[in-house]
Amino acid sequence: MKILVLASFVIVLGLFLFVNQVPVDITPDKVSAAVSEAVSKSEVPVDEDIVEQVVLSSIEVLEKGQSTRLKYLASAYLVIWLVFMLYVLRLGKQQQALDKRLVQLEQTPEAEENE
Amino acid sequence: MGNLSTKIIGVITALLVFISLYLIFGYARIEGTMLEVQKIFYYHVSAAMTVFVAFGVNCVFSIKYLIQRKPNDDLLAVAAAELGLIFCTIALLSGPIWARYAWNTWWNWEARLTSTLVLWLMYIGYFILRSALEDDKRGVYSAVLGIIAYLDVPIVYYAVDIWQGGLHPDRGTKWSLETTMRHTWMIALLALILLFTCLLIVRYQMKKAQARYEIIQQKYLEEASG
Repeated sequence: MKILVLASFVIVLGLFLFVNQVPVDITPDKVSAAVSEAVSKSEVPVDEDIVEQVVLSSIEVLEKGQSTRLKYLASAYLVIWLVFMLYVLRLGKQQQALDKRLVQLEQTPEAEENE
Repeated sequence: MGNLSTKIIGVITALLVFISLYLIFGYARIEGTMLEVQKIFYYHVSAAMTVFVAFGVNCVFSIKYLIQRKPNDDLLAVAAAELGLIFCTIALLSGPIWARYAWNTWWNWEARLTSTLVLWLMYIGYFILRSALEDDKRGVYSAVLGIIAYLDVPIVYYAVDIWQGGLHPDRGTKWSLETTMRHTWMIALLALILLFTCLLIVRYQMKKAQARYEIIQQKYLEEASG
């Protein structure tokens, strides 16, 4: 039980650390290619450079926010699992204590009879 | 309930939890306004709905205990209340993280948040009452409090309708979600309700064993002193 709880904690913690470094693979080259393709399909005349600049700055804004958003997301799930894990650990401890007391109770009359 | 069936439910629960997590992070579409943060919704709302189920079980078995006075009904009611409190804590802790991003505040005294906090405090009171009372009064008084506390559940549920203008969306919002989001939420809800069932069985069995131990101990002490 403890191993399971510990393993799930490590996974969630790993996830928390990982999401803070998620690589965003939208490179300027990819943006440039996508904008060129979109402009070529466009029926109205569009200034490709201006569109590219607008798209790049929009991506920059989204990327900046992404790290913050992922921190919120990971924090929420970390808190949820922490509550569950602490509860399960508490249950495990209570069960152990109960087992111990039951064994003691079973042994007491036997011990007295032997005396 | 047998040990094997408990294990089977446990395995199904574990599987569903993993599937729900996969669906949340790998299948459900990213919502347009809240983006990635919206994914908190799946466990936050599911935990809040599991609270209703848990306190509902507490209420039903509290009524049953008051009518039939079977100690096992009291034990089941307590186990359900304890788990309801755990799920309520999860909803109350994950909510502010969402709120900080969405509303730029950790807490707001709006209707649903306040009524949920009141619900949590009432069940904290339930356990304080149980620990303060003697054995013969404990079951009856706590059953009465359990029933009274449950009256707050419909208030929490309908709070957005009763006191309009709060920060929480309408009750129907979750049913009008985009298909992948709705499926994911339903699986997450099922996973948490099964997790509750699983933990309820374990907790109930533990409480029964503890009660048996206390009876045996009491008999032994009486024999020893007599």
